[in-house]
Amino acid sequence: MPRWVGLLFILISAGFLAGAFSFAADLTPGVPPEPPTASEQTLAIVVNLSNPTENLSMAELHKIFLGERSHWPNGRRITLVMMAPGQPERLAILSLIYRMNENDFNNHFLRGLFTGEVFVSPKTLATPVGVRKFIFNVPGAIGYLRSSDVDSSVKIVRIDERSPYEKAYPLHVPPPSAK
Amino acid sequence: MNFSVLQLNKGVLLVNANRSRLLTQVSLFVLGVLAVAPVVRAQHPGEAPVSDKETMQLLLKRISLLESQVKKVDQLEARVRELEAAKSHIAPAEITAVPAQPSVASETESESAGERTMSERMDVSKTLLRIRGFGDTTLHGDTQKGDNTAFTLGQLDLFVTSDISEKFKFLSEIVFEGGPDNIYGITRGTNNAFGVDVERFLVQYSYNDYLNVEAGRWHTAIGYYNTAFHHSTWFQTTTDRPFLFDFEDRGGILPVHTVGVSASGLIPSGRLGLHYVAEVGNGRASRSPITQEPVQNVVDDQAHKAFNLAIFARPDAIRGLQVGFSAYRDLLVPANSPKIGETILAAHAVFVRPQFEWLNEALVVRHSVFGTSQVFNTPGFYTQISKQFRSYRPYFRYQYVNSSDKEPVFPDVRLRQGPSVGLRYDASESVALKLQYDYTVLRGQPAINALALQVGFTF
Repeated sequence: MPRWVGLLFILISAGFLAGAFSFAADLTPGVPPEPPTASEQTLAIVVNLSNPTENLSMAELHKIFLGERSHWPNGRRITLVMMAPGQPERLAILSLIYRMNENDFNNHFLRGLFTGEVFVSPKTLATPVGVRKFIFNVPGAIGYLRSSDVDSSVKIVRIDERSPYEKAYPLHVPPPSAK
Repeated sequence: MNFSVLQLNKGVLLVNANRSRLLTQVSLFVLGVLAVAPVVRAQHPGEAPVSDKETMQLLLKRISLLESQVKKVDQLEARVRELEAAKSHIAPAEITAVPAQPSVASETESESAGERTMSERMDVSKTLLRIRGFGDTTLHGDTQKGDNTAFTLGQLDLFVTSDISEKFKFLSEIVFEGGPDNIYGITRGTNNAFGVDVERFLVQYSYNDYLNVEAGRWHTAIGYYNTAFHHSTWFQTTTDRPFLFDFEDRGGILPVHTVGVSASGLIPSGRLGLHYVAEVGNGRASRSPITQEPVQNVVDDQAHKAFNLAIFARPDAIRGLQVGFSAYRDLLVPANSPKIGETILAAHAVFVRPQFEWLNEALVVRHSVFGTSQVFNTPGFYTQISKQFRSYRPYFRYQYVNSSDKEPVFPDVRLRQGPSVGLRYDASESVALKLQYDYTVLRGQPAINALALQVGFTF
């Protein structure tokens, strides 16, 4: 049998498989960051009350959320807390900090764990109450909450020397009514 | 201790409520007595009537009763403080065990499940083992004489991790793959028979961002590809690894695996983002020809150890850029031949973002035969570029390696160079379909045209 028959067989198989998979849903493209509107709330970055960190730059925040930093300056291991997929707060973080979609986010952490560069994958919690409770209990935890969901059980970290209650704060999330 | 946080909180609230109610009662009573007393004195400046005395005694009794109740509340408060202190001593153990969720990108749990996780992690008898799998199946054909178009089961890779503690972690890759092996052109093993390789097997200690120590078997930090893709074809864009980074049992020329100890971490360098990796291990087996395992997992065929040092930068200014180099040094002692000094110098510049990838690596393997002036330099490089368009990612790769026909360690390699073009289609988040064409030029042999269709997946 001539060799080109085998190659032709592979090409035909490829076409068949591509057609069979064509009904599969396309992956969601990345969400570009948008400027905040007047109705948006700020998204506070919160840590455990015992964490001495007061301020983080956006670059530091980026590294922490990507898992490129695994320890706080006090030696405590960083535990990243994410809200469940689909939550507006999570979408805002994916857009503003990660600049990734859900698929890229999952691949990033799977790859990081696989290469050993990421020590621990994020902890995902469903509600702001859950996030608060987790961060309250875990000294190395860092997460995010709407400013209106923050209470005294967690500590707000300033971003680029700005608190969520100041102008030009960089992290915003659509109001809950927009869910 | 079985005292739960919830019970404790309820207890605190109950005690506080009782106490405040009692204090209010006492305060009102005392105020009432003080308010009434002057009136009583004004109306009865002399000796008080008997009925008033009885009233006073009754009130004093009630005061003493209330005081005893307040004392009990104080005792309860002290007990609550004790329990809170005990709880704060327990907390670090809970906290130590909480953060680990390694085998998946992220895990969604309800809050109650989160609490359950905490309590589970208190139980040291649980292993916290996580398993993630990778695999692939390929249909491959080429124009090389003697080759037949065939379906090929690729590596079935079980990626196993376990969080031992806050600082320690276990990681391994257990790979099932079909034979035979190809070691420097010599086949070993039985056709189509599956075997098991423990490709990575290490315990990691993470002291801080500047010092991480690993012990076991890992992928040597030579260049970029070897530590970026490991044994998962699903992660890599192409159907196969660049020839330079092929595994030892697939004809590769590098000591891809090392058994030993490694240290890695950040170098304080601000926005430059410098990292280091320092490794010492057994190196590769140097018997020639090698008919057994090329990685020295258990015994070393000589006392000399292999060293590798890698430095790379990930500058903040250009996200996705990594530039680095590595230097590897070992001593090979082939049987009935002079010793061979092995030096591998590698450099890489890669730019990787979710939608774009550009990999460039070059290296030279230098073998110097002891007691002679013979030095064999084997240079090689590859460049690979790809761009994602929705679910499709077309890619191009060109690779080159050129070794002497008299190369003492891998004489079969000679010259290999040529382009590869292909298309990766992500059918879902976990399944990728790839079609790749390769054109490979060989020295002294006809060029090879090859086509491969692969399904790679993770599970």
